[in-house]
Amino acid sequence: MKKTSRQMQKEHTKELLLKTAYEVFSERGIMNTRMSDIAQAGGVSHGTMFVHFQTQEALIEEVVDTYAQKIALRTHELAQSCESVEAILRAHLSGIMEFEPFYRRLVIESPLLPTGARDCMVMIQSAVSLHFSSAMQRREKTAEEGDVPVSILFNMWIGLIHYYLVNNDLFAPDGHVIERWGETLLQNFLKLLPKAALS
Amino acid sequence: MKTCIACGMPMTKPSDFAMGDESKDYCVYCARPDGTMQSYPEKVEGTTEFLIRTQGLDQEAAHEMAIRTLAKLPAWKGMAEGACE
Repeated sequence: MKKTSRQMQKEHTKELLLKTAYEVFSERGIMNTRMSDIAQAGGVSHGTMFVHFQTQEALIEEVVDTYAQKIALRTHELAQSCESVEAILRAHLSGIMEFEPFYRRLVIESPLLPTGARDCMVMIQSAVSLHFSSAMQRREKTAEEGDVPVSILFNMWIGLIHYYLVNNDLFAPDGHVIERWGETLLQNFLKLLPKAALS
Repeated sequence: MKTCIACGMPMTKPSDFAMGDESKDYCVYCARPDGTMQSYPEKVEGTTEFLIRTQGLDQEAAHEMAIRTLAKLPAWKGMAEGACE
């Protein structure tokens, strides 16, 4: 059934508000932003906001879900053709870099977000951990007792990247952490991996 | 682009699809060896195992997250907790 111009206008407004919220969240933080801030930035009335998002929690869940899916999809697209651990982790960094200010907010605020939005963070990680663990399978075949488990190696990588992102004022005051540090962190992390994982 | 109805993974190349068959709506990870789609309990168990093995989550946290995540997908809409017990 063909959409009426009124329905199309409504969808257009919602898309605009999602994008506006993404930009405001990236700049000011997620939990710190009020519905009225988004309405003002998007040039709509407070009442219009509530037509599309009944509560602040609903707004946060929808914005985070929409953009987390974009980040996960982009990361998956970049990583799926990679065979080596190095190429996969570089793809991961590229995926983050495209959304860096918003991703940084997600990392900082994730434990404080509504459950549905918090789950999105794990969804993004899953897009990377799927490819990372597959690439490490070669190592798993020859794994010996005492080797570091794949999950610990993965979390060491995530922890490293997130630490630099959260503290961007210390590592890259211009805000471009991945651009400035990504390759350095990657090359040094690879040195910690067992040689069998890199062959 | 299609995404798997059972786990949400984007399917962009033939090898992403169950049995390499691009007419299928579910992915290679959601198929049983004979090509049929895994059941809800199998998928909950598989997702839980994936989260533990690749990201080191706590067993109970991973199980709850698997249930919440799957509930958003077309194949499992309306599945309440307990359906897989």
